[in-house]
Amino acid sequence: MGEWKRHRILMVSDFFYPNFGGVENHIYYLSQCLLKLGHKVVVMTHAYNNRSGVRYMTGGLKVYYVPWKPFLMQNTFPTFYGTLPIVRTILIREKISLVHGHQAFSTLCHEALMHARTMGYKVVFTDHSLYGFADAGSIHMNKVLQFTLAEVSQAICVSHTSKENTVLRSGLPPEKVFVIPNAVDTAMFKPAPERLSSHEIVIVVISRLVYRKGADLLVEVIPEVCRLYPNVRFIVGGDGPKRVRLEEMREKHSLQDRVEMLGAVQHSQVRSVLITGHIFLNSSLTEAFCIAILEAASCGLLTVSTRVGGVPEVLPDDMIVLAKPDPSDMVQAIKKAISILPKIDPQEMHNRMKELYNWHDVAKRTEIVYDRALKCSNQNLLQRLSRYLSCGAWAGKLFCLVMIIDFLLWHLLQLWKPAEDIEEVPDFVLSHDQDEGISQDNENQSLR
Amino acid sequence: MDTGITERTSPAQAKWRKVAYGGMQPGFDDNHTDESFLEEMVTNANVGKRDMLKVMQDSVSIAQYLCIVALIGLVWIYTLKSTLNENSLLLLDVTLLGLGFLILLLTQEMFSLNLLFHYFLNISFFTTGLYLLAPIYQTLTRSISSDSIWAVTVSLLVLHLFLHDYFGSTIRTLGAASNPTLTSCISLNASVVASVFIASRLPSSQLVFAMMLFSLQVFLFAPLVTYCIRKYSFRLHLWCSFGLMIATLALVYTLHLFLFVVFLGLLVFVTVVCPYWLIRMQEYKFEINGPWDEAKLCFDIID
Repeated sequence: MGEWKRHRILMVSDFFYPNFGGVENHIYYLSQCLLKLGHKVVVMTHAYNNRSGVRYMTGGLKVYYVPWKPFLMQNTFPTFYGTLPIVRTILIREKISLVHGHQAFSTLCHEALMHARTMGYKVVFTDHSLYGFADAGSIHMNKVLQFTLAEVSQAICVSHTSKENTVLRSGLPPEKVFVIPNAVDTAMFKPAPERLSSHEIVIVVISRLVYRKGADLLVEVIPEVCRLYPNVRFIVGGDGPKRVRLEEMREKHSLQDRVEMLGAVQHSQVRSVLITGHIFLNSSLTEAFCIAILEAASCGLLTVSTRVGGVPEVLPDDMIVLAKPDPSDMVQAIKKAISILPKIDPQEMHNRMKELYNWHDVAKRTEIVYDRALKCSNQNLLQRLSRYLSCGAWAGKLFCLVMIIDFLLWHLLQLWKPAEDIEEVPDFVLSHDQDEGISQDNENQSLR
Repeated sequence: MDTGITERTSPAQAKWRKVAYGGMQPGFDDNHTDESFLEEMVTNANVGKRDMLKVMQDSVSIAQYLCIVALIGLVWIYTLKSTLNENSLLLLDVTLLGLGFLILLLTQEMFSLNLLFHYFLNISFFTTGLYLLAPIYQTLTRSISSDSIWAVTVSLLVLHLFLHDYFGSTIRTLGAASNPTLTSCISLNASVVASVFIASRLPSSQLVFAMMLFSLQVFLFAPLVTYCIRKYSFRLHLWCSFGLMIATLALVYTLHLFLFVVFLGLLVFVTVVCPYWLIRMQEYKFEINGPWDEAKLCFDIID
């Protein structure tokens, strides 16, 4: 399939460490594995409190914390052109060949992708979430996504449901959209060394206690399950506006000794909470992929989940019990889970998860997408504008205007600060990683 | 237990599956688009067929309320022109109040004498308060020109009409479970402020009092009365509305020919053009549902 090519990738998203979540995890692990494959990866995100400037993470992963303050839900304020100078400088300094943006509601990602396209770079976008089509917020977001995806070289979604959603929202041809799921670091999520006793069954819930995560379903389900099974205990980890409702439920049914509320759980503590339970309960109302289920399964827990979004694709049928998002069906599912619980061996489950999900596999699949993206033909401004024009009667013209201004600003910048004046960064590979990196390269080459 | 893994290696596995686990599926690229792509998409699942006649009948409520507001405007204009004096205004107030109660009494089965007494007590408190405040209202906008006041009043009335809850009643009816929404409260407040502004242009505090009483009575209770009539009998509601429309048109005609044409046009627009437009626009409705939608809870959340 042609000779192996070293990519120089810039990952862009508003969401990155020290924040924690599905997207942050995805970028971090993907970058680490790409570095191991021998590519160069640089991450760009906004400043978190006083964490601003350039930092290095494990494996020599360089992170630019751009000094823009987040203004809403960890998003930077959309300025359209404000980020152009710094994006351009980073792209030239790091000799980037490809820009990879993450998450549809990251403004930084949209802006960086727009500038990168203006400057003629190939861009890849990963969508991590699902959107409806009915409310005003979704309609607006879908338009923004259409703008960003109008010219993206390749797109990646985390599940097949997410792909369907993205194709519908953006009008992108389906063959340009790849499905590459998240994975789980199975080494971090090992089951408990010895099997838990089986006369008491512990059901673990770890999620933010908000409406979208189905905290209201928990309020209905927990008392019913406690009534049916006197030997069941719940551990609820997570915080949020619905915590009050859960605590009220606990008081009302006097379940203080059977429902333990842990409050917010640090990501590093998640495993220690998970291994105290037998069953993991996920009650989300919408979910593109759900990494929490993977973490639980990797710890050897049997999962009970609502059948929403991409959840049915995540695990084989014998590792998960799915239910409709209504309380009685969920109680039935928990009943079923308790009945098959004796047949579940956590260690075996963990071993299967190792087979099923692997970040290295994700990185290799992403690499293929990068190769494809670089093969896409270059287009001049006029060809690109005609693509934007077809985005909609009003929106198309607006998009064109935005792109033309971006193009002019870019040329102004080039006059004001020519590319030759920007110092290029010498590449360096951490010495103790070098061997590993090279061996990975060889392995990679032998694969082709 | 090992079924998942054996399944993947078995020869019968040439078929593509809609799963995310187990790495890249052998024989298929990651951008493979199966025939089952978008199979679960449902379009226009909850779109109800609309009937032209039904929509027109529903729009009559809006036209009716437009007439009521137009009548209030007429009374304001005639009072400012001194065609109506305080005695005739007070007479109008009392007649309207009596008529309103009569309609409530006839249409509401839950009405008792006790409640009637309760209402009377409230109204007398309200009237006394208004009487005491009338001198203040009278001098409220003395330093502002009449043109500004008219401009503000008209914009407030437009806001009122825009946000008005045409199918409920602004004040809580007997036995109604839900409270009025925020927009209907804003709408009511806009109308009250408009009445205060107009009343403040009048020369005597007696007139101010009579006029305020009239405006507030109509703005507060007319929606309740029309709501009760509509609930009692839809046919009666339609007849009342047509009567009201003709009466209003006649009165507007006596005031000004141009206003009459504008108002007639407005009524035709609301009751004929808009429903037709809505029906036509239904063709363009394109609703998409699928597994990516946020699940709806099948129970009510009681906070």
